Amino acid sequence: MTFYETEIKRIRNICYSNNKQIETVIATRNYIDNNFETEINLDFLSLIHFTSKYHLLRLFKKYYGLTPRQYLMDKRIEKSKELLKEGMTVTQTCFSVGFESLGSFSTLFKTKTGKSPTKFQKEQLSRSQLS
Amino acid sequence: MRVTLISIPVQDQEKALKFYTEKLGFIKKRDTPLEGGNRWLTVISKEAQDGPELLLEPAPIHFEPSKVFQEALMEAGIPYTQFDVDNVDSEYDRLLKKGVEFSVKPTKMGTVKFAIFNDTCGNNIQIVEML
Repeated sequence: MTFYETEIKRIRNICYSNNKQIETVIATRNYIDNNFETEINLDFLSLIHFTSKYHLLRLFKKYYGLTPRQYLMDKRIEKSKELLKEGMTVTQTCFSVGFESLGSFSTLFKTKTGKSPTKFQKEQLSRSQLS
Repeated sequence: MRVTLISIPVQDQEKALKFYTEKLGFIKKRDTPLEGGNRWLTVISKEAQDGPELLLEPAPIHFEPSKVFQEALMEAGIPYTQFDVDNVDSEYDRLLKKGVEFSVKPTKMGTVKFAIFNDTCGNNIQIVEML
């Protein structure tokens, strides 16, 4: 066994020994992945896992390094990039990935990608015509 | 400031280009001749072409400490870097069929699953799936 494998094993025993917690955060992430376009309801999630909402938030952050909300926003922006590339309008994209206002979508999109959704889409579409 | 480039030390640029494109599926982005047969050689991910470029850098041939460092990482089984994949198991099968050698089979660790292969250019590379 290499040094790396020994270390991984050691760290796993320290950091990832609580299977119940891991199951809970993985289920939470899957739920977000499958429902990112809806209004995500953490109360419901914490109920089915018999934890408090705040405990669930802390666990998620502990294992993924992001809060569920940060993760959700990343997911929505990632998905919106796909839809924009496919040629969906900015407004339609905004609502399909779960944002409630065009303003908040455009601002966040620009913060995350460095470009406005319109500019991103123009660049992507002209790129696909070139190739 | 933006992160647009990450570099990987390789012992042979041409061999690395072949491995990273033909086996892993990256796309050649830039290939500029420099002095002494060296090249500014970058590849990008096929699925995320607007992501950072990967520089295949011939450092171990020209800078002894880089060679020493690379060999030490290899010896210890430590990955030089890691790439995200949607599914470690299917990627493992796909690469095995192409003759890629794995030192660590798909392994679960908390909220991720990973595997490690040899890039034939002096590095261990880890592929990771978030669970």
